[in-house]
Amino acid sequence: MGVTVDVGYKSLNKFTEILCGDRVEILKTKDSDILILADGMGSGVKANILSTLTSKILGTMFLNGATLEECVDTIVETLPVCQVRQVAYSTFSILQVFNNGDAYLVEFDNPGCIFIRDGQLMEIPKNIREIDNKKINEFRFKVKRGDALILMSDGTIHAGVGQLLNFGWLWEDIAAYALKEYAVTVSAIRLATAICHACDELYMFRPGDDTTVACMRIIDSKPVNLMTGPASNKEDDEAMVAAFTADPAAKTIVCGGTSATIVSRVLKKRMDVSLDYVDPEIPPIAYMDGIDLVTEGVLTLNRVVQLLRRYNKKEAVAEDFFLELDKPNGASMVAKMIIEDCTEIHLFVGKAINSAYQNPSLPFDLGIRQNLVEQLKSALEEMGKPVTVTYY
Amino acid sequence: MKVTICIGSACHLKGSREIIKEIQDLVAKNGLGDKVDLNGAFCSGNCVNGVCVTVDGELFSVQPETAKDFFEKEIMGRL
Repeated sequence: MGVTVDVGYKSLNKFTEILCGDRVEILKTKDSDILILADGMGSGVKANILSTLTSKILGTMFLNGATLEECVDTIVETLPVCQVRQVAYSTFSILQVFNNGDAYLVEFDNPGCIFIRDGQLMEIPKNIREIDNKKINEFRFKVKRGDALILMSDGTIHAGVGQLLNFGWLWEDIAAYALKEYAVTVSAIRLATAICHACDELYMFRPGDDTTVACMRIIDSKPVNLMTGPASNKEDDEAMVAAFTADPAAKTIVCGGTSATIVSRVLKKRMDVSLDYVDPEIPPIAYMDGIDLVTEGVLTLNRVVQLLRRYNKKEAVAEDFFLELDKPNGASMVAKMIIEDCTEIHLFVGKAINSAYQNPSLPFDLGIRQNLVEQLKSALEEMGKPVTVTYY
Repeated sequence: MKVTICIGSACHLKGSREIIKEIQDLVAKNGLGDKVDLNGAFCSGNCVNGVCVTVDGELFSVQPETAKDFFEKEIMGRL
């Protein structure tokens, strides 16, 4: 069984800067996942260019199987030299996890990776190699399910320096905080955001440096099946429901009242529709045995797409985003499952046209399901989740 | 007495939420909580007119403005 990873990151820009000088790249190869974090010298545009070049060069070369020496050589040759400091410089960390569980960590001048296993901090041994006068630490190990690996830029350990804390937030203290948050968060993005938010507080919401936390958690694969819309031929209803519920390991979501009624009929399961309007714009959810989540269709999906887009705009993801995600309305529940509890998703989309929706007196065009599905698909792809769509 | 109110997309847009609130309030105000069983329902395929409400299986179309009359006539009137 292959290793699956959940990756997420969060950056804070130095106060008053529009661009971040830290850069995270998340890549997938045939047999591995790669997470790269680069921190360019200085801040603003210059730092952004340095870290972008560094992370992109590393990513592209790693993808094509270059050695670490070749990558570092290329970076040294390529980075523009800073006129003020007369050096070309960006730190980086690279974490590559292969599907067979092999892992490879490369660190250059960033704060050390925090490695959590079985609720404890693991030590990363020193194994320094010098390439082009740069001291680079390499670590080869095996990951196992439940592991969390956290890469950071030095904005984290500088948080609060000279203000709330004499020497900034010490690595050991960040690691202890990460350990605590690890126990209470389910996803990589939530863990990264929690640590970043703590830094922001220590900076009193005026970060003195670009601050980035990137996290990778080793998890089981978590497939999600989502069904929306009745099949265009009624005879296909049963086949559609059978395919939708075929994988016992997959979480199941039904978005749509008519779809839910069909599932209820085919599976011979009772459906209880709630009257609880927790959000005035999103109709209440329903409950059905054997289905993890049942919601109304297009209005809910419309909100789901909005939430996923907000998630994809990384700077918009902060603690308040998760407060929104934790709300008990149908759309937040669907988005939360997709963002935090899903590694791949299969959409089962019915193309039937609901005659009741062909009604110009309605204030919202309900006949937009397929358009919404397209938007949902592209948002999911942007999140890096593999998507399959089957139409009926 | 079992009353279901549709909260499907179309009915939602026609005011399910207001009607649910109104009927819930009226049921509470008249102390009928143990006699009237309020439930949600998904689309029953009759959403062309108002919000679909059923009383013991009989179908009605209700608008937020007519919710009070509906309650008095079809719910109070049948108890």
